[in-house]
Amino acid sequence: MNATNPNPSPEVAASRATDSVRPVAPAEHEFEPLLTPLLNSAYGTAVRLTRNDADAEDLVQESVLLAWRGFGSFERGTNFKAWFFRILTNCFFSKYRRRKREGTEVELEDTPELYIYCQTAAMGLHAVTEDPASVVMNKFDTENVTSAIDALPEEYRVVATLYFMQDFAYQEIAVVLDLPVGTVRSRLHRSRRLLQKALWELAKERGIVKELADSAQGNH
Amino acid sequence: MTPMHRLSCEEVFSRLDDYLDRELKAEEMARVREHLETCAACAAEYRFESSVIQGVRNKLEHLAMPSDLLAKIRASIAETGAAPA
Repeated sequence: MNATNPNPSPEVAASRATDSVRPVAPAEHEFEPLLTPLLNSAYGTAVRLTRNDADAEDLVQESVLLAWRGFGSFERGTNFKAWFFRILTNCFFSKYRRRKREGTEVELEDTPELYIYCQTAAMGLHAVTEDPASVVMNKFDTENVTSAIDALPEEYRVVATLYFMQDFAYQEIAVVLDLPVGTVRSRLHRSRRLLQKALWELAKERGIVKELADSAQGNH
Repeated sequence: MTPMHRLSCEEVFSRLDDYLDRELKAEEMARVREHLETCAACAAEYRFESSVIQGVRNKLEHLAMPSDLLAKIRASIAETGAAPA
């Protein structure tokens, strides 16, 4: 997927559109076919960003209205998905982010790379299966994974959400968040390490690590 | 043309994240791939990390929007009526 620059800022364009004279050329026939295929994934992303179903619904609705009002600034033929998700994430940052998160947040201290790999190797899991990663991941359900993502500090959670849920390339995330690609790269790599640590901590709390250790020892 | 030196395990490790995301240039992708084809230890790490990423993605696939959200969006657009300039 090619990333494109959605400038001018859709928010600015949206503001201009609402403040200026009434536009003359409705474009529902263009807007809805571009938007509709994105709505499910936009909602899923909004749930992860807001951590709240009702706020997620409001965030999607509000983002769609902003996009609609600013659609005149969208350059036809360019990356509508990146353009729309830029509006959605900006809307989240400006209105829906929580000042303080409730519950546990994973520590920002340096997390080693290959965190789960090293943990599972140390418990002997790699010696008893050819695909230890699948054995581990099959122990997790959707709620485990979303809880781990929710435990990430916001700047990492946003990047991880766009990466895992939208499969955006680095350049596209850079466009969506208006960040340099290098910042996206380092933030994403770190967010993956933090996510692995968060998943493992959660697995310890919920007895999954013990199940894995039992599997490695042949005690199940 | 000077032949490129083969990447060491350390050099591959430093490129692993970008390789997983297909964010290296084609030539670099090929060099990492070449190493992974001949180094069982690095290949095991690569397979593990790739599987974790895919596993996370698979678990997140099932979030669907509320069934009435599209209708609400259409209604709010109609109510707003502000067509794009």
